[in-house]
Amino acid sequence: MAFTKIEDKYVSQKSHIKFHSSTPLEDIEANNYKAVSTVDASTGNVVFSVPMQSFEFEKALMQEHFNGKNFLSTKKNPKAKLIGKITNLGEVDFTKDGTYNGSFSGEMTIKGETQPITADGKITVKEGAFSLESTFDLTLTDYGIAFKKGKPSTNVAKTIEVTLIAEYAKQ
Amino acid sequence: MNKKKKKLILLVVIVGMTVAASIAAFMFFKPHRDVQSARTDLVISANELVNEYLSSADQANEKYLDEAGLSKILEVNGLVHSITEDYNNQMVVLIKSPGADAGVSCTFTIETNASAEALKVGQLVRIKGVIRSGAAYDEDLGLFEHVILDKSDVIK
Repeated sequence: MAFTKIEDKYVSQKSHIKFHSSTPLEDIEANNYKAVSTVDASTGNVVFSVPMQSFEFEKALMQEHFNGKNFLSTKKNPKAKLIGKITNLGEVDFTKDGTYNGSFSGEMTIKGETQPITADGKITVKEGAFSLESTFDLTLTDYGIAFKKGKPSTNVAKTIEVTLIAEYAKQ
Repeated sequence: MNKKKKKLILLVVIVGMTVAASIAAFMFFKPHRDVQSARTDLVISANELVNEYLSSADQANEKYLDEAGLSKILEVNGLVHSITEDYNNQMVVLIKSPGADAGVSCTFTIETNASAEALKVGQLVRIKGVIRSGAAYDEDLGLFEHVILDKSDVIK
């Protein structure tokens, strides 16, 4: 049975998740500063919990659509979740200052739909704490988000780019 | 059709289109809700709010969250547990009682940061903001998550 020593668990209460949708008609961006995350340095387990209503858009109407039933349905699904593992844990030394390239493999759950996901990231260790940065793509139809007509079908990209950064300290 | 009638129809069409375009533009450029000047929906203690979520998250979400993200505006009472800053240079005040499993994490704005900076840990405070999500024990994180309030300011 896996036994996690408490001193191997790192917690992040400070993060920034941004998504970017780009079409010839419009660039759309939203920012979220309220995700909570943990990294277990001994097992490589990574977890992100993201409160969906904390995504902020420049335009109020866009934010309302994003939260609404046809898009993310955030009243019913207030949180998105990312769970997985650092797959090259042997190449990351959380006890030694430096920058390491990490590979991640796991599952993303958005709007109640769970899909496999892989991503590459950068882990910067400094004085017993570290930060994690990563950029990856999400395909909206994988999570049951599809627009058949109207402005969203032409102005929202089918694949959006997600950028995240989080700062961790020992629990 | 006489000339007068044609002119009238044309006028109606032009006026109609102008009105439609104005409504579209108004909606498109609609400003965000100003949480601080909006009416408070409920005054509640941090412990009470956390306990509502821990005993039934579904019921609490039904009560507090809105489908379009225009969720309830709350004034939350409690003790200041910590004061930090996020990646957007916004102050974050955690209201949480000693011994409580979870608290209420209140994110301020560039405009309201100063009132958060003036607070002291342990101080009794009332903070107004919009609720974004509730408290829960998350098994994957192995942690209690706090209630989240955004667009916060201190109520004096």
